[in-house]
Amino acid sequence: MWKQFSKWYSDFEDETLRVLAYPETAAQVAGTLRRRSFTRLAGLTPIERQQMHAFVQKYRGITFYWVILKLIVLCSIIGLVLHSLFPDKLRLVAALTVSNLAGLAIAWSILGVWFNYRKLAHKKFKVLALFLLSPAATGMALGIMRTVLIEGGSFSAGLLSGGRIGAIAALTAGLVYLVPMSIVAIWRNREYEALTLKLERDAERERMARELSESQLRLLRAQIEPHFLFNTLGAVQQLAEQGAPKAAALTADLIAFLRTSLDKMRREQVPLQGEFDMVAAYLRVMQARMGQRLRFQLDLPAELADTLIPSMIVLTLAENAIKHGIEPALRGGDIHVSAQLVGSMLRLRVRDTGMGLRQVDVSAAGGGLGLDNIRSRLQLAAQHGGGPAGSLEVRNGEESGVIADILLSYKTMTEETA
Amino acid sequence: MKTTVMIAEDEPLMRERLLTMLELCWPEAQVMLVAENGNDAWDGFLEHEPEVVFLDIRMPGLSGLEVAERIGKRAHVVFVTAYDQYAVDAFDAGAVDYLLKPVQAERLQRALARLRDKLGAAPADMAHLLHSLRAALPAPPREKMKWLKASVGKQIRLIDINDVLFFQADTKYTRVVLAGSEALVRTPLKDLLGGLDPEQFWQIHRGTMVNVKAIEAAERIDAERMQVLVRGSAEKLPVSRTFTHLFRE
Repeated sequence: MWKQFSKWYSDFEDETLRVLAYPETAAQVAGTLRRRSFTRLAGLTPIERQQMHAFVQKYRGITFYWVILKLIVLCSIIGLVLHSLFPDKLRLVAALTVSNLAGLAIAWSILGVWFNYRKLAHKKFKVLALFLLSPAATGMALGIMRTVLIEGGSFSAGLLSGGRIGAIAALTAGLVYLVPMSIVAIWRNREYEALTLKLERDAERERMARELSESQLRLLRAQIEPHFLFNTLGAVQQLAEQGAPKAAALTADLIAFLRTSLDKMRREQVPLQGEFDMVAAYLRVMQARMGQRLRFQLDLPAELADTLIPSMIVLTLAENAIKHGIEPALRGGDIHVSAQLVGSMLRLRVRDTGMGLRQVDVSAAGGGLGLDNIRSRLQLAAQHGGGPAGSLEVRNGEESGVIADILLSYKTMTEETA
Repeated sequence: MKTTVMIAEDEPLMRERLLTMLELCWPEAQVMLVAENGNDAWDGFLEHEPEVVFLDIRMPGLSGLEVAERIGKRAHVVFVTAYDQYAVDAFDAGAVDYLLKPVQAERLQRALARLRDKLGAAPADMAHLLHSLRAALPAPPREKMKWLKASVGKQIRLIDINDVLFFQADTKYTRVVLAGSEALVRTPLKDLLGGLDPEQFWQIHRGTMVNVKAIEAAERIDAERMQVLVRGSAEKLPVSRTFTHLFRE
């Protein structure tokens, strides 16, 4: 018998743990009643499930029996003490029975509250009614029955005594049950909310970190793009075979570009001078390859050279101008990169005279051109710095080509620099 | 007899490299033309009709794939491309050879050996390869021209593409012939070609694109030559041998 029970119990425990860990398995549980209770388990919030899982795991198997045994011993001691205090009113058996029943019931309900605190918090009135009204009603009914049936009193007398007993029952239930339960529930709820908040914050932090590393990865991929690398190396090889002194200059530019871009990728913010140097190295490499088809110019006022900006954003615009503007254009074109103060804003502009935006580019809102990447970089920079986010605008030039503008609030940047 | 060759590559150093290596490795080849973009490549092909064409895939104007599609089975094509795994997979499955940039001498030798074996036979059919390459290297859809700007005296005239009967190359300019009038645009025909819908405008000659809807009839002049009669124009447009297949029943 005991073996059967302990096997049943350990099976039950295993199943509980499984449903808590994998709620979707609740539907596979055999037996209608069991399945229903397990479905309820599966309906708990992830935090509740996690807590319960930890609890069941902790009190698994023999530990649970020991706890029950300890509880019975404790309750029996309380019963003995009560019996020795009031030997006339309480006989030994009654004292032991009552103290054990009450003790185990309270322990059971504390356990219930321990894991059902969300429901208690959400359905306050229903719980209140259940805990106060049901003992009151039961007490009242018992009182009436005793007065009318056993003592042969009138119904109105029964009503009176029943009311009194009901009130006492409700009060007792209220004191013994409701107060400690509410305290437990409130405390547990606070803990739950703190935990939720922490989880949300962790998720947010993780999302931002992921976004940052994703954008860095995309940049890395753009830098070591096979087309770029192999074509450039081919140009170096050809110049070297011709014995042209330009070979050394092109290699130097390629090294400068690769080194600075790999280095800057790891940094969130870079001074404008560094960004412009890198863009210049990139454009010189492209000019060596494209020859007459590419002309370019960079303008950086000396007073803006130390201003910090999110790294790689000007380079991405310059790469777009080459890839989508100048390279596909039959006659090539010009690229003009500039930084300028416009009111309280810093304007970074990359302007080309290439192909211009096509209808498809415009409708896709620049997706796939690295523009989303720049926008999320600007947003990330704003979240870190606490200032307003910069903006990016890309439009067709009046005569030809594309004008891409990044506007950054200059004030917050100088404060950061200071 | 020397084998006629054309090279199409947009980067000057790469162009030079392929040219010097070809001259070194294949002295029997005669390079007829070195094109700097896809439009020149197609125009140059029609002019020189080389037997072998080295085509860069990424070029301004018509892409290497578009040029190859137009060339069809009229020449042996060797594609030249910078590393691109998808493209390489497609090539490995097909009969058409390819070179990876930067081109290395040893690899070029091998390609040339294979090419010389094939020279006597008909060029391979590229339709299947081009299809898988287009899937592997998605290019943004080319925007079709809707309007033309042509200067007539002091005025700039806007011409609806649908009203054009035919285009005719005129050195640096292009003659645009409409019903009852005509205009001159400053763009050479070879550079207009990419913006025209090949279903709407048929190229019937190196220097002529004709609106299919305006074609009244095609007539045979002799065993080799054909000409097209255009509705709304008295001109008869010669069809070059390359394009007579368009009118075969």
